[in-house]
Amino acid sequence: MRYCFCAILLLIAGCRYSANNPDPNDTVLYSAHSAKVRGLDPGDVGDTTSAIVASQMIECLYQYHYLKRPYQVVPCLAESMPAMSGDGLVYTIKIKKGVRFYDDACFKDGKGRELKAGDFVFAWKRIADIKYLSKNWWIFDNKIIGLDEFRQYSKTCKTAADVDYNTPVEGLQTPDDWTLIIKLKGRPWPQIVDLLAHLPTAPMAKEAVDYYGKDIINHPVGTGPYKLKRWHKGSYIEMVKNPTFRDEFYPSEGEPNDIKNGLLADAGKKLPLTNRLVSVLIQENPPLWFLFLQGKIDVSGIPKDNFSEAIDLRQQLTPEMKARNIKLFTFRDPSTYWFGFNMEDEVLGKNLPLRMALSCAVDRDKYIELFTNNRGEPAYGFIPPLMSSYNPDIKNIAQTSYNVQKARKLVKEAEQIYGSKLPTLTLAMPGTDIVFRQEGDFLKRCFKDAGLDVEMDYMDWPTFQNKIKTKSAQMFTLGWIGDIPDVENFLQLFYSKNISPGSNNFNYSNPEFDKIYEKASIMPDSPEREALYRKAEEIVVKDCPAVFLVHGVAFILTHDWAYNVKPHAFAYGTAKYRRVDEAKKAAYSELLRTLK
Amino acid sequence: MNKTKEKNVPMIKGRSYWADSLRQLRKHKLAMYSLSIIVVYILVVMFIYLASWTKTDVSFLDWNQTVGKGYEKPNKQNVLGTDFLGRSVLRKTIYGARVSLTVAFWASIISMLIGVPLGAAAGYFRGFIDDIVVWIYTTLSSIPYILLILAFALVLRDKTLNLNWLGLDAISLSGISTVYLAIGLTSWVDICRLIRAETMKHKQREYILAALSYGCSNSRIIFRHLLPNVFHLIIISFSLRFVGFIQAEVILSFLGLGEKNSPSWGSMIDAARLDLPKGYWWEMTAATAAIFLISLALNIFGDALRDSLDPKLKVQ
Repeated sequence: MRYCFCAILLLIAGCRYSANNPDPNDTVLYSAHSAKVRGLDPGDVGDTTSAIVASQMIECLYQYHYLKRPYQVVPCLAESMPAMSGDGLVYTIKIKKGVRFYDDACFKDGKGRELKAGDFVFAWKRIADIKYLSKNWWIFDNKIIGLDEFRQYSKTCKTAADVDYNTPVEGLQTPDDWTLIIKLKGRPWPQIVDLLAHLPTAPMAKEAVDYYGKDIINHPVGTGPYKLKRWHKGSYIEMVKNPTFRDEFYPSEGEPNDIKNGLLADAGKKLPLTNRLVSVLIQENPPLWFLFLQGKIDVSGIPKDNFSEAIDLRQQLTPEMKARNIKLFTFRDPSTYWFGFNMEDEVLGKNLPLRMALSCAVDRDKYIELFTNNRGEPAYGFIPPLMSSYNPDIKNIAQTSYNVQKARKLVKEAEQIYGSKLPTLTLAMPGTDIVFRQEGDFLKRCFKDAGLDVEMDYMDWPTFQNKIKTKSAQMFTLGWIGDIPDVENFLQLFYSKNISPGSNNFNYSNPEFDKIYEKASIMPDSPEREALYRKAEEIVVKDCPAVFLVHGVAFILTHDWAYNVKPHAFAYGTAKYRRVDEAKKAAYSELLRTLK
Repeated sequence: MNKTKEKNVPMIKGRSYWADSLRQLRKHKLAMYSLSIIVVYILVVMFIYLASWTKTDVSFLDWNQTVGKGYEKPNKQNVLGTDFLGRSVLRKTIYGARVSLTVAFWASIISMLIGVPLGAAAGYFRGFIDDIVVWIYTTLSSIPYILLILAFALVLRDKTLNLNWLGLDAISLSGISTVYLAIGLTSWVDICRLIRAETMKHKQREYILAALSYGCSNSRIIFRHLLPNVFHLIIISFSLRFVGFIQAEVILSFLGLGEKNSPSWGSMIDAARLDLPKGYWWEMTAATAAIFLISLALNIFGDALRDSLDPKLKVQ
């Protein structure tokens, strides 16, 4: 028994990563994640943490330019930007020659083979395969000629093994190994380029799927700058430089301030700039924060509980952080949070003054202060401020700013429409823990001040989702984080053909909006499309199907030995650009001693 | 003559078992102090219920009122400080007693109502009935207690209890009722075991044999003869387990399965967990002090009660 105990201790000790780096030439970047890494199979990645980790090893046809803003898509595995036919229905993409999958046991002799256009076709058919149950079918749903038919065909197969991936799909053709032709189903799809920079569209080697089977979620096989070395579930993931990585260089252009901020010092250097990446996986925030303060994590977010320790009232670093040479980066998230109304609800759906009263009753500034540590901007529409189609005038258009007097007046109007005193409304919250309950207490109070009785219904996530899908939630708290810079991603949430169980949880329907959406969503990026997006948002905010609460602002802290840190709202595979100064890192423990 | 003789004989008034125990209990000063604390808690809870039934506006029970700024330190106006919305922590602590004591009370009643009859039946009838009861409680007790409560609480949450067959309205289970049902349904094992063993012992006693020979029915023997003789065990168990139930409620509330729309000590501790690293210690302190005081009082009083009621301890 004692030996058994010792063995367990040794195992645990073996699982711990060491932040002391004995080799000065070996550079290591330590990052931390507080959510689980669910799996590293790109076709089925559905959560941010898994996507961040997998993106260091797996690449897509396109990627975002690391430094340029507004966000710009540039070729990655593709040779150049896609060639589009005149009607916008056929895309021809040339793939870089000589790109190799990294060495893995799944390939012949363990040597990674060259990437071919067929690997993309295989990966996308796999997402279409109903037996594979990918979370990412929404990307290709009703877009490419023959792919939906392939999905139907996979439905008829008895088992997953029966699905024949050699079944041709008309819309996905590979005239040679380096050319990919995508034919669309009669409707242009301008978002395709952004989506081809999205991890689920990454190529997949058939050998890897055959070799690992279901275990593929633990064995990413990509073409990226890093390859997986070790993954101790729930402890850490270690990635090492991929020796066969193609020639990719640090960008030499960026924003005007980038030279001043030292972000172009490494211009033209071969990527990646760091030898190893270690992602520490700890679900509790306090230990993560202490590891960061001790210098054992190089880049970190700020846990809610430690916010006042790191950031002062002017939203600047506190003297304690400055003394540690810690740097702060803030950037706008492509996110909007709201509580939505079920427009099919008897009470809410037909009562615009009531919906507006609820919106006017919420003190957004106080909400942001209490629940986000001021890491947010008040929202009055759904398009986040970092998007080019954001309308700075949306607050005046919506007419739903915090105003208790106005809310009370609107409640009286609402009562007249309803015919009697308004009944108690119910707001569904997707969690039962104290954070949700405090939020509920706050909102309840806001509504009460306006003379509205609202009850909170706290529930777990599956119950919540079920309520929304079955249209049985009267009001619900939710949000959306944009996957791509195209605002169509947000607009589709209000399109009448997407109502529940689709993504339009509001069950909102407005023919005028639908018309604009249908027109704008197939237009290429242009000032004209932007104007249409704004018009569509205007229609929505005037109908008030939701109380738009807050747009997220993210805060990132780094130690001074981590270079080339520039937060990016959409790109995940950015560790290859980062550089670590090990000498500076080694001096940090000395600095900590003097600070004590 | 005879009459004078009778007068001279000193009259010794006999004391019943209960009177004797009560007298002994009264001598125990610490137990009496504890009892007064328990009584104060109970009175507070009764007052809260009374105020809500009669819809009386009592300012110190209005826990949802803003009395100051958010996170005010304890001061003259707000003795125990304020929470994130500027509500009085003192009022929340007082109001929190309602949830804790109600849950503990009903959980105790439910567990007694299940455990006592099952234990008595198993001990009295033995055989097949005993086998079934023992099998049920052995199975239940082999599952870790907290997990079992959590499972019950999750299953019972937001369900409706159909009591139409009793001529009553359906009860919808939410918050507090889920908690005491979950605790009550999972914690009857100990009392059941105790009563079963005690019944087996008493069944061999002469008074039961006498009742049997008189031709009393089984139910009469159990309810009129056996149970009154093991009732002291029920009272002791009630008082000692009450503390455990208060703590179980705190754990469930802490895990987000308890009362949602009004304060309880568990949810206060849960909220304070996030505030403590920021240096806001008062909400945590107030809730834990309230739990500590009632737990201590119940423990001391429960021990004293056992000392005075248990005949075996009396002999020693």
